[in-house]
Amino acid sequence: MGAVSACGWGVPALERALHAGNTEIRPLRRFDTTGQRTRVGGEVPPVPEEVRRAFPEWRRLSWADRFALAASREAVSEASLPESLEALEVGVFFASSTGGMPEAERWLAQMIRDPVASHPGALGSQQVNGPGDAVARRLRVCGPVETLSSACASGALALGAALSALRRGEVELAVAGGADALCLTTYAGFNALRSVDEAPCRPFQGSRAGLSLGEGAGVLVLETVASARRRGVAALAEVAGAGASCDAYHMTAPHPDGAVAAGAARQALEDAGLTPAAVDFVNAHGTGTPHNDAAEWSALRGLLGERAARVPVEATKALVGHLLGSAGALEAVVTVLGLRAGLLHPVPGEEAVDPDTPVELVRGGPLALPGARAALSLNLAFGGANAAVVLTAWTGP
Amino acid sequence: MSGLVAITGFGFVGAPGCGSQAAAHALARGEAVVRPIDDTSGYLPAGAPRTAALVDREDLVPHLLPGQARRMSPPARYAVAAARMALAEAGLADVEEEGGPAAVVLATAFGPASYTERLCRQIFLEGPEAASPALFTECVASAAASQVAISCGAHGVNLTVVQREAGPLAAVLRAAEEVASGRARRALAGSVDEMTPLLLAALAQMRALGEPCRPFDRARAGMLAGEGAAVLLLEREEEARARGARVLATVEAGVRAFDPTAGRAGWGRGGEALAGRLRGGLARASLAEGTVDAVVSGASGARTGDALEAAVLRAWRAELPPVLVPKAVLGEYGGSLLAGALLAVQGRPFGPTPHFREPEREGVVPHDGRALPPPRRVLVTALAAGGAAAWMVLGAARA
Repeated sequence: MGAVSACGWGVPALERALHAGNTEIRPLRRFDTTGQRTRVGGEVPPVPEEVRRAFPEWRRLSWADRFALAASREAVSEASLPESLEALEVGVFFASSTGGMPEAERWLAQMIRDPVASHPGALGSQQVNGPGDAVARRLRVCGPVETLSSACASGALALGAALSALRRGEVELAVAGGADALCLTTYAGFNALRSVDEAPCRPFQGSRAGLSLGEGAGVLVLETVASARRRGVAALAEVAGAGASCDAYHMTAPHPDGAVAAGAARQALEDAGLTPAAVDFVNAHGTGTPHNDAAEWSALRGLLGERAARVPVEATKALVGHLLGSAGALEAVVTVLGLRAGLLHPVPGEEAVDPDTPVELVRGGPLALPGARAALSLNLAFGGANAAVVLTAWTGP
Repeated sequence: MSGLVAITGFGFVGAPGCGSQAAAHALARGEAVVRPIDDTSGYLPAGAPRTAALVDREDLVPHLLPGQARRMSPPARYAVAAARMALAEAGLADVEEEGGPAAVVLATAFGPASYTERLCRQIFLEGPEAASPALFTECVASAAASQVAISCGAHGVNLTVVQREAGPLAAVLRAAEEVASGRARRALAGSVDEMTPLLLAALAQMRALGEPCRPFDRARAGMLAGEGAAVLLLEREEEARARGARVLATVEAGVRAFDPTAGRAGWGRGGEALAGRLRGGLARASLAEGTVDAVVSGASGARTGDALEAAVLRAWRAELPPVLVPKAVLGEYGGSLLAGALLAVQGRPFGPTPHFREPEREGVVPHDGRALPPPRRVLVTALAAGGAAAWMVLGAARA
């Protein structure tokens, strides 16, 4: 696995910060927030020199490409794979909402000022498929490369796409994940919707007032059990099932009854050959917006019944912000860390959980859950797209 | 897939108008329909083409009332109109009629470009507090797919594929897989894009536009930019026949690959390797190459893109069947490729490839307009700037 987030570059930095349970959502430095309602976000800290040195083309890369490449390099290294995957049947299944939008904003600003003086160089990697393509190019992948941009569900959908390609034999190994960078357009847009909290977001808490934007990447190397055995590598966890649905209800609001979202989770569990009773913990979408958390609670209640208020819930966005299209990918990494360590990360703050969304939020320190076998990671997106992934502890050789 | 998934409905929005007949007539004539670009913003550089294959938005009115379109970005309007046409042709009032979730899988290369530009202008020129929430909501790449789901009541997986020119085939193949696996009862799948003066300026700056557009010609200089949507209704063939639906074609196979020699915004030199992937994929699908009676090529007049396409096709098969190039007529956007593919496999006539005069050495000679026998299968090709590639085989409907 590989990760880049407000917690730092690499999975170890992420895991340390998760267990510390402190939010990394702070005043933004990436761009000027003058005139914005809010000033905070989960901004990735400066790149360590050893990471930057690994990519000679660093200066020409978009922010999202940098995050994607660094996380992919870490994931491929942990999976004991060579730097070139040309000889293997590999696909890249990636997610992004913004792609190279910060770079496109620079180009557009030039165009508005003086179209004659503007240069398309700034546009080179502006597209949403930029990060996934950059990963494929760097790893010399020759198989399918697919970028999904279904708003905040994209990361989980990319994992589902990878799982599907592995199962039908299109690939024997998949690099799956997502990358997004903070940009002015999404920051101002979410502010315009009044869906951003002035303070770091507080999922499922009574005074929650919106989300916090973040950036980064999460990447997982997935392969068939046969491939892992052949290569003699140990699995970190199993992607056991995936499911997806669409509320078909409203462009920004989730359906309040959560029934269709619960259907995505149920589909993922059925795909994994599990029942809702098998879910040991949930990594929630948990944006911190009043409507989204309420709809997610409804979905969990519909799925888990009476257990919904007892199953431990992680809400990673409280620490790193909302990574938009890549949120599901990073949250899958966090979920695997929880399964492997038997330790769930806490959500910062001491405020009581909203009685209208009474999830069993992990608070006050990491929660030891050594027997955890199965976890559900859920994402609910703009436009009503829902995606769920079931991850299970690896018990094989 | 082996003929399991049928196409029973098709909706088209493009420069020639709305509906499959509009696309069919334009392709039969072999003449591009172009309209002048409004460049009051002054974005377009000197010497750039001043025309493109643009939609006349009045054409949408019978399919999407202005009141319904009011809150939709142009791509969402195109996609919803095309989806409604596809449903109507399939004889369905409700995509989830008879139960089971319906998937929506749409591709887009650039997303809602005009709304994104308008939002950015508000932020840059008036300050972030001027940003319109209504514009922002419709700026996400998935806005069109979401609006299709809302408009048609589709509760299955909702996906937006962004993979430049390869996206449309990837979207249809993914939708076919959703249907074949039973995860979706039906699927609305296709591609949508809009073309704006700003995008045209970007393409002109990258020297990607050519006037006239002449795919595979040695003097080609770039593409004819286009916009619109094509949406297919997919369902299992046996279910379609059981409910008495007319099968337009079947999705028989798909192959995807990547050319790591490609740059970020261009095409690479990996023709041999891509052809190997194509051959391997068709062999795994047990499709005899000799049963492919036509190629519907994604060639667009791009200098390096068409060269790579020619290299792949030449390496794939020594004796090429007729090569049809719909983007020369309908413009460069995903919907034109899908429209061309479906009309070709239905045996609809194709006129001569516009402006083609002379091939390159080892190049491809595109279709000259002569009458073709109805094909058994067509191979649809899509090589994307950036390196992605996809191919799809459509089978003619069985009697």
